[in-house]
Amino acid sequence: MESQNTTGGSHLPDVLEGKMVANDQSENASKIRNVPTNSEDDNDGNDEEEDDEEDHIYINEETESGREKILISHAPQERIVPPLNFCPVERYLYRSGQPSPVNFPFLLNLNLKTIIWLANEEPQDTLLEFCDSYNISLQFAAINPDGGEDDNPWDGLTEHSIINALQTIVDRKNYPLLVCCGMGRHRTGTVIGCLRRIMGWNLASVSEEYRRFTGSRGGRILVELLIEAFDTKIVEIAKDDAPAWLITALNE
Amino acid sequence: MVGKQKVNKYIPPLNFSPVISTEVSLYRSGYPMPINYSFIMDQLHLKTIVYVGDKNKISEEYLNFLKEQMIQFVYIPMESCRDDGINKEIDKVLEMIVNVDNYPMLIHSNKGKHRVGIIVGIVRKILQGWSIASIYQEYGLFSGGLKDEADLEFITMFISHLEVYKDKMPKFVRM
Repeated sequence: MESQNTTGGSHLPDVLEGKMVANDQSENASKIRNVPTNSEDDNDGNDEEEDDEEDHIYINEETESGREKILISHAPQERIVPPLNFCPVERYLYRSGQPSPVNFPFLLNLNLKTIIWLANEEPQDTLLEFCDSYNISLQFAAINPDGGEDDNPWDGLTEHSIINALQTIVDRKNYPLLVCCGMGRHRTGTVIGCLRRIMGWNLASVSEEYRRFTGSRGGRILVELLIEAFDTKIVEIAKDDAPAWLITALNE
Repeated sequence: MVGKQKVNKYIPPLNFSPVISTEVSLYRSGYPMPINYSFIMDQLHLKTIVYVGDKNKISEEYLNFLKEQMIQFVYIPMESCRDDGINKEIDKVLEMIVNVDNYPMLIHSNKGKHRVGIIVGIVRKILQGWSIASIYQEYGLFSGGLKDEADLEFITMFISHLEVYKDKMPKFVRM
């Protein structure tokens, strides 16, 4: 849909008395701005909207140019709730805490193919059922598979499980993809942090991103050390299978 | 690829993050500095940058960078959500966002906390229909837990007046 921009001489910035303005505007942008507001259609539209406030989007009659126009004023009636600490990471790659049933309508919008669950214990049954009914493959990247009875929920990830999760992330067959753990803080942060290192981000920026999601008690130094020490060359990246943004990051 | 070491090469701008990462890419951040240019250049391939803020003098370096990269730059003057006529300015930003021709797009303020936080909050509410609690949570992630009550109230009460061409509307906009 969007082009890697290498053209577009008409998009140069314009300086007007120290103020920057959009020089554009492509035909369409200016059309939107010059929409006639006093045509019959529009008046009808406005009346209708006042009468029926619940209609947040009003689909206009065909306009002069023959293109369908939409008026947006209020939020959609049906609200969706992202999981705790939800955030996009890269194209079609997301991170969050454990999704609960209230988040399922939101998740459906993402058209997920894979969820990576970073924990030893199983996620809630509701999440298992959800993945089952929508054909989402749920991948467990257990923290410490050999820990047996001794493992703790607050243990960090082992290198093995980080690599496991990253091998899934570097394969675009698994997208759209959500990486999550209980709160979406430390384990998810570890995996995403290591991914950023593979992408060539500097360490301070990786830490900034990690800490953003760690809540009021802040980041754990052990997690940051783990990210710093992570050997990025261990993850095998097949160029033919990797997502485009990763190829871009590796090539430059 | 082996043997090609790229240590500490990319420094994203302060508070950088994707906002939308589907068939279109919308990013948020603080003010881009020269140390961030290689990241923006190599990894984002932007078509549009929208700056919401109060610094109307743009540095020579930044201007040159925008020119070289042929990035369309739009300046939206904004002090805070209490400005006169702020709704109209925000509608201008939303107008850019609901047109697929403008992507990939970065919206930045100075620190990427409050002003960008308001814009993103409004996108989440009006265009995507996120619950208000989730919008507050996201705002908090980027403002370092500091919640400006006036900002949150503003997001909650905001009503837009947008006319959108349906064939230019990105798919993330929920109907």
